[in-house]
Amino acid sequence: MTDVTQFDRIIDRYERTEESLLAILQDFQHEFHYVPEEGIRRLSEIMEVPESKIYAMGTFYKALSLTPRGRHIIKVCTGTACHLKGAPEILEELERELKVKRNGTTTDGEFTLECVNCVGACAMAPLTLIDEEYHGQTRASKIMDIVKKQVES
Amino acid sequence: MGAINSIEQLEAYRQELEDAAVTDLPTVMICFGTGCQANGARPVAEAFTNIIKEQGLELNVNIGIKTTGCHGYCENGPLVALQPQGILYLKVEPDDVPEIVEESIKGGRIVERLIYEDKTTSEMIAEYSEIPFYKHQHRIALRNIGAIDPTNIDDYFLAGGYVGLVKALGMKPDDIITEVENSGLRGRGGGGFPTGRKWRSCVAVDSDVRYVLCNGDEGDPGAFMDRSIMEGDPHTVIEGMIIGAIALGAHTGYIYVRDEYPLAVKNLSSALEAAREKGLLGEDILGSGFDFDIRISRGGGAFVCGESSALMRSVGGDLGEPRAKYIRSVERGLYDKPTVLNNVETWANVPEIIVKGAEWYASLGTEDSKGTKVFSLVGKVNNTGLVEVPMGISIRELVENIGGGILNGKKFKAVQTGGPSGGCIPERMADLPIDFDSLTEAGSMMGSGGIIVMDEDTCMVDVAKYFINFLVEESCGKCTPCRDGLPRMLDLLTDITEGRGEEEHVAMLEELCDLLTWGALCGLGTSAANPVLSTIEYFRDEYDAHIRDKKCPAGVCKALITYSIDPEACTGCGLCIKKCPQECITGERKEAHEIDTTKCIKCGICRDVCTFDAVRIS
Amino acid sequence: MEKISVIIDGRTFEAVKDQCVLEVAHENGIYIPSLCYNSEVASSGGSCRVCLVEAHQGGRMRLVTSCNYPVREGLEIKTDTPLVQRIRRGVLELLMARVPDSEVIREMAAAEGVTGVRFRRDEGENERYKCIACAMCTNVCAEVVGVSAIAMVNRGADKKPATPYYKPSDVCIGCGACAYACPTGAITMTEKDGVRRIWDRDFNMVTCSVCGTPYIPEAQVDWIVRTTGKDRSFFDKCPDHR
Repeated sequence: MTDVTQFDRIIDRYERTEESLLAILQDFQHEFHYVPEEGIRRLSEIMEVPESKIYAMGTFYKALSLTPRGRHIIKVCTGTACHLKGAPEILEELERELKVKRNGTTTDGEFTLECVNCVGACAMAPLTLIDEEYHGQTRASKIMDIVKKQVES
Repeated sequence: MGAINSIEQLEAYRQELEDAAVTDLPTVMICFGTGCQANGARPVAEAFTNIIKEQGLELNVNIGIKTTGCHGYCENGPLVALQPQGILYLKVEPDDVPEIVEESIKGGRIVERLIYEDKTTSEMIAEYSEIPFYKHQHRIALRNIGAIDPTNIDDYFLAGGYVGLVKALGMKPDDIITEVENSGLRGRGGGGFPTGRKWRSCVAVDSDVRYVLCNGDEGDPGAFMDRSIMEGDPHTVIEGMIIGAIALGAHTGYIYVRDEYPLAVKNLSSALEAAREKGLLGEDILGSGFDFDIRISRGGGAFVCGESSALMRSVGGDLGEPRAKYIRSVERGLYDKPTVLNNVETWANVPEIIVKGAEWYASLGTEDSKGTKVFSLVGKVNNTGLVEVPMGISIRELVENIGGGILNGKKFKAVQTGGPSGGCIPERMADLPIDFDSLTEAGSMMGSGGIIVMDEDTCMVDVAKYFINFLVEESCGKCTPCRDGLPRMLDLLTDITEGRGEEEHVAMLEELCDLLTWGALCGLGTSAANPVLSTIEYFRDEYDAHIRDKKCPAGVCKALITYSIDPEACTGCGLCIKKCPQECITGERKEAHEIDTTKCIKCGICRDVCTFDAVRIS
Repeated sequence: MEKISVIIDGRTFEAVKDQCVLEVAHENGIYIPSLCYNSEVASSGGSCRVCLVEAHQGGRMRLVTSCNYPVREGLEIKTDTPLVQRIRRGVLELLMARVPDSEVIREMAAAEGVTGVRFRRDEGENERYKCIACAMCTNVCAEVVGVSAIAMVNRGADKKPATPYYKPSDVCIGCGACAYACPTGAITMTEKDGVRRIWDRDFNMVTCSVCGTPYIPEAQVDWIVRTTGKDRSFFDKCPDHR
């Protein structure tokens, strides 16, 4: 029996209108590092909104993940400026070294590698975010060192 | 200080603040925009706070440390400005702080090594307003950014904030709309629709409920103007929306902020709270009897949600799928009510237009594109960052005078404008003015203001492929041409960049472009053709080289290039051998190394680490 | 109901203001192909794009989906110009590339002169089967039936109808409205020995006390009884024998 209070606590932060759905799902994502199935079910129950609709939102919005993500999230910015300044090479290097494909999680559950379509720090291209910390002007040859350094600290 | 219940009270409060402000006291302003924070602004701010406390300077000299919004000159961050001297220090590190305090704050001198040096003239410039990057700007939307603490509403008051609101409360709603019409303000998000006309057609629809929305989705990769405004001066957006609400008779507003901008959400939220506390939002604003409040709606990571009808669906708590726009949102928008949606930058201009008047605004810019525009100048240019200039500036002026020319002395090839809905303009057309219409005629569009500078090392076919790939990922999937047509375009572009291009592929691409332009449901699809068609038009020779010669002239497309080591330049240091993930480089120490091209995956790491620039791409 | 006149292919017809072009055309015997629109389902339409026609209004011309474009005074529609034909063929070719298994699409395409596909096969083709992601099924389930057991998931080319987590849905009533409404017959519904299977769930059917034919899922009866208060015994007989 899933403890629903963990979801109720978050749902109660907001008004009981459909306008709050996306914000609640994002808070779930932030709290649990993904959006749990039981969370969607509870939300559907409380808001009286079909479960299928909320599930569909979970698949539509890239900020949400329906499967558990790794302990550390690496986001490579693939905006235009970053693309021109080496983002593809950084992404490939991370895929190679971490042995994971983009949007995937390493088998040991440590890292999830994602692409972000522009974080808006284009003057610092190419950007890589590690656990929401911004690293500007990153290079493929240095990226693994940066990852290791941040994860260790 | 609690709620302010009348205009008189507000003016009294403002006067109090002005009297208390001692403007010639030293103030340190540290840019805390996302870019500078990425560069280490926080440790710099901490260093200042610590040293000032240590030295007890707070007692002798009242020093304010303000963390401000994005100054725009991101490449040179962390940026620290000192007032009242108006000095700007670049690339400041925590270790520089003691010297700055000693020399500049206490001693009134300039720390030479931290100021701007012009790369072409070698002129050293200390004053903020004299640096070319800032000198040519005319900041209206960005007027306060870098000069105020965005989390402090008193700063906004001191900078003249909410004077526009007071004025608007004394105007007839109809007159507010006329003022905006006469200013010539056009939507800054990319559409360029005359703002006054949009408001006018909204009030013409009979309804007791109307909404005002702010589009803070800023999905164009390479654009961060709206981020900077939402983070650095949230009150200008709020004030603009309140003025709009009064003009339109709306009582609820929403600011839709994309998920990727957490600092913008934070600063907007606290600004809304502060505005409410001061009686500027909520019931009976400043005792006028007018009710209006604003909510923040967060995006979920979907570029298509920047499209107005998709945005409105998303606000309502649903998928961000667009709908047919045969009935415009000013008639039936959010919850089927008349709605005005404007971009962040558009709203940011409204307070100044009301304060300084339509005539003043219309005196800037060109005949059809009035006012100023904020551009994000990024890519292969020396001075990357945000600039606000009058409309009508040429591409060349922007790239060379303000941008300082191409990085590393390379050749200027093209600019990409308008994001995924825009196109590429070649260098030979760089004297075109940047405004709403000139770029559209040339096959691109000004869009939201992202200007991506490209050099000789940029492959234009790769650029087309990049944008189509972006759109494939962002397509909502509702209509056939976009959902199924874009992947077919991507297949063709991939074939071309991987050496499988055939003669008829360009014609097929053009056909698919035509299909999307006429047949797609929303702007994402109907403008998807631009990046492809503009590169085919202006860089056909590159397409031909990829297809006929199986070559990539810019040296980008991996399947068509070979990595090799120049034996003349190589010193045999062995660094590339160590770093090569394929272990395909061989060579003895102090002897020229060699890459086994059968194993090389062109990852670029050897070129990255080589300090002798010995790795060649052909 | 304000009556106005609209010109279609050079002929003037009477219509009701804001009626959609497609309805006016069909009422008057003018053919415009359509897939994702159903006049009983207000939320349908606008997706497949095969019904695009030229709309001339206020000195402007653009292509509009006739299934949801409202007729207003001064509108002129052209359903068969070279532009319309070119775009219609393009749309059908894309659909053929997406769902090569669909006879409905193949026939409609052939009628417009499209018999081949020049593009590479869509990688997800096996999963697509015959689905053109028009959302007719999910619209019917939400709007007409009111159950919302399925919704359109994913973005882009992977968009498709599904139950949450692709698991059998406990709110689905097995009515099959989605399968009936689907323009390409892409939803699999089978029946054997008094059990219906749809969306990976088995539904026991109620058999008619007169003719013995299994005719309605028990789950659907439960739902109707629950939502309308109708007496259960009403469903003992099938519609033919009531």
